[in-house]
Amino acid sequence: MSWYYIEGILIQSCYTLLIVLGLSILTGYTGMFSFGHAGFVCIGGYVSVICTMAFDLPYAVGLLAGGLVSMILGAGLGRITLRLKGDYFCIATLGVGEAIRLIFNNLQLNWSINGKNFMLDGAKGIASVPLKTTFGISLVIVVIFVIATSFLVNSKHGRCMLAIRENELAAQMSGINTFSYKMLAMCMSALYAGIAGGMLAHYFGYLQPKMFMMTKSTEYTIMVIFGGMGSITGSVVGTVLLCALPELLRAVGDWRLVFYGLAVIVIMIVRPMGLMGGKELRIGYYVNRLTRKLLKKSDPLPGGDEEEEAQ
Amino acid sequence: MGIGYYLQQLVNGICLGGMYALMSVGYSLVYSIMNFSNFAHGGVIMVGAYVGYYALTALGCPFLIAFLLCGVGSGLLAIVIERLVYNPLRKRHAPSLYFIISAMGASIFLENFVIASIDGTPRNYPAVFANSISIGGLSLGIDSLLMIIVSAAALLILMFIIQKTKIGLAIRACSYNERASTLMGVNGDLVIFTVFLMGGILAGFAGILYGMRFIVKPTIGQVTNKSFVAAVFGGLGSLPGAILGSLLLGIMEIFVASWNSTLRDLFVYALLILVLVVKPSGLMGKVTEDKA
Amino acid sequence: MKKLVSLACVALMLFSLAAAGGCGKAEDVIKLGWMGSLTGDQAAYGTCESQTLKLLVDEKNAAGGILGKQIQLICYDTKGDAQEAINVAKRLCAQDKVCAIIGPNASGQCIAIQSVLDEYHISDMSTVATNEKVTVQDGVLKEYNFRVCFLDPEQGRIAGSFVYDYLKYTKAAILYDVNDDYGQGLKDNFIKVFEAKGGTIVAEEGYNGGDTDFTSQLTKIKEANPEIIFTPIFYQDFINIHKQARTLGIEVPMLGGDGCASEVLFDAADAVDGSYVINHVSLTDPAGEDFRAKYAGKYNGAKMELNGYMAYDAFLIWCAAVEHAGSDDAEAIAKAYTEVEVEGMTGKIKISPENHNPVGKSGCVERIDGVNKTYIFETKIPTE
Repeated sequence: MSWYYIEGILIQSCYTLLIVLGLSILTGYTGMFSFGHAGFVCIGGYVSVICTMAFDLPYAVGLLAGGLVSMILGAGLGRITLRLKGDYFCIATLGVGEAIRLIFNNLQLNWSINGKNFMLDGAKGIASVPLKTTFGISLVIVVIFVIATSFLVNSKHGRCMLAIRENELAAQMSGINTFSYKMLAMCMSALYAGIAGGMLAHYFGYLQPKMFMMTKSTEYTIMVIFGGMGSITGSVVGTVLLCALPELLRAVGDWRLVFYGLAVIVIMIVRPMGLMGGKELRIGYYVNRLTRKLLKKSDPLPGGDEEEEAQ
Repeated sequence: MGIGYYLQQLVNGICLGGMYALMSVGYSLVYSIMNFSNFAHGGVIMVGAYVGYYALTALGCPFLIAFLLCGVGSGLLAIVIERLVYNPLRKRHAPSLYFIISAMGASIFLENFVIASIDGTPRNYPAVFANSISIGGLSLGIDSLLMIIVSAAALLILMFIIQKTKIGLAIRACSYNERASTLMGVNGDLVIFTVFLMGGILAGFAGILYGMRFIVKPTIGQVTNKSFVAAVFGGLGSLPGAILGSLLLGIMEIFVASWNSTLRDLFVYALLILVLVVKPSGLMGKVTEDKA
Repeated sequence: MKKLVSLACVALMLFSLAAAGGCGKAEDVIKLGWMGSLTGDQAAYGTCESQTLKLLVDEKNAAGGILGKQIQLICYDTKGDAQEAINVAKRLCAQDKVCAIIGPNASGQCIAIQSVLDEYHISDMSTVATNEKVTVQDGVLKEYNFRVCFLDPEQGRIAGSFVYDYLKYTKAAILYDVNDDYGQGLKDNFIKVFEAKGGTIVAEEGYNGGDTDFTSQLTKIKEANPEIIFTPIFYQDFINIHKQARTLGIEVPMLGGDGCASEVLFDAADAVDGSYVINHVSLTDPAGEDFRAKYAGKYNGAKMELNGYMAYDAFLIWCAAVEHAGSDDAEAIAKAYTEVEVEGMTGKIKISPENHNPVGKSGCVERIDGVNKTYIFETKIPTE
């Protein structure tokens, strides 16, 4: 396999992973389902492209701006929708995601900045976006966010979120401010999605509202479920697998999406806790165990890995 | 633009709303019992439309037979989906979000199965009732008229079943509290079977009527998103709500489109969000509570 | 749990090994890539293109191949998605190492894959991508993007002059898909030309792709009382709009762009009777009869869509370029594209080195005859 081709898949896995990580905080840890995250990705993409193309700002600033705008929007959205329960919240996010896409579809803007002309032309999209997202950059960003996320979920805040996922009423009774934690989860996931949007735009070099249909949001949510709710490593494994899978199945042609749909159903039936099922893959643990085995020491291990599956 | 213009738009709106109603009732029925949004419903409608297409063209059935075949085909499919996809989850008391994901999976599966096994080419129904009638300057297609009549009749029968029969009583009981009613001797499996069957039959009717009026392709399942919005607007889980929501949505959509045709979908989704924020249970929906 | 993960990893590795092994064999072939929609809304177009190419490649191979080598055709699905198109392009260029690509069948995807083509110096000959930006953007020529079809502005011009000069209509309405760059491009250019000639646009209505109900817009158009409705859209919407318009009592003809012409139209023969479509070639052209019959013979009587003609021409010019270059070197083929000239199904094809568009193409306008289920050739309008 050629490296360039694999690199493409890896870059896509990286920014998809960023989105999925954000969703994992929202869905896997706090228990709220979003079917509108493609909308946040869309916002992030557009804002970052406007920054780099119209204002000639550096790529990093573009990414940050995309993330921040998306986060502000997420906060605003959270303010009005977070009190909705279960299905209704996920329907609201569905509506928001579609609405964002439709707004960009109808948006016609024309700027002249420093003599340069920049056009937002509705459905025609923006072409010739500078290709700034390299594998190195995306890997660094993703690693930073994976570490940050694992710090967050392993902190007191992360446990509060888990409590909300398991039983919101009980969490509230225990003195957890459920609204502010849900808001935190919402903002974080919107931030992640926004930054990922910027990476996506600068990887493809092309941006079109059509790229952010509802099915994309569904795909992201499926990745979270597939990897396992409440597991960071699960999200990583799930995303990389599901990003690579369609590429590997390309030879099957027409039938690959059929298998994809079937796989989703089978996973829900056979292993709904996902690949990792709320557990983390701990490299240190395995290394430790292996060395001990080699040294033939048979004393029991203090393990974080052997708890019962949390379902 | 005179009064005739507005009347014509109103008629257009009612036609559209009637179609949404046939579709959204399926969402609402399932939601009322199982508390999840059955996104596979769109796929069932699509399959119904294909059954109708092949019944009319390849088999050369008369319309009425094709119409009934659609109902049977979609009804069976809905039951099969329930048995294979939802039943295992139900047995395990999985959270409703797993149901939604499975439903999404089923809808991806159905859509692409049709693409892979038939093909993605849009099909056009042979003209069954191509004529239109004109009343005082208002044009109304026979197919649209049929759609309204069929919608109304099917929905009335459905309401009758739910309000007046024993199984209807069981369905209503289950929609209040499934666990309590099963404890009282209601056969939960039978209720769910009936609900999916009825939803499926209506989906089949919606499919063939949709096909006659529009065009059949594997992605029409996405069109049903709007009927889902209508169900939410009317209040998920409430049948009269779904019908009212559908009609209102249809009419509003038409008038928004006549004012600015490109803002139509934006309006639909903005309305969805607004309804959810102001009155999350929709116009006539049952109030969701936290089941601790 | 660990077992599952390791199993998954093993499966993944096996898969990649198999994939890697698959491309290591058979060195003595010339690889031609094709990409397009095999799934999604435009699956019909893509399917037709790939089937046509398969047929042509088989024929060519049976006749001894090209430069004494057999042609291997590699087809991938883009799902009609620009993102997928980039993945596919990467796969074709980097892994399969094709010498040239034909397709994809939509402008958005062609624009999206440009960066991949530039990186690999592999050329793409697109079939029906009519957007201006496919080959030239902001005055800069895209080195590896070519096409065999005319452009949106030219098509808009053809439409405008057909309505005003040929049909002598002065009042036109427009109904188009606002989500689609194709429709927007055609609409803008039609308005420019039609109004410059002295016509008036009495109604301009849009809809969002995926909509199926057009009664509201059509009722409005009916009020405006146009002589013709210009519909730069794809055929499924074209049929849908016709059905609903006839129901509403609108009897004026419509004029569709090259996305409308399809054999599926005749399934709704009553509704679409009397409307016009712009096309790259006359679909009843006797010159194409042979190939149409072959196509039908091979694919269970399936009718060949317009895309088949375009794919045919793209293949012809590719063959000519390979022979001209005398090798299957990607750079040489890209260079040869502008140097060869072939007599294709859609007329003489000569690609201009300045903008990589074919020069001197003309558009056919055909009237749909619903009774005999055929097209009636109306007129041919040159692009310039």
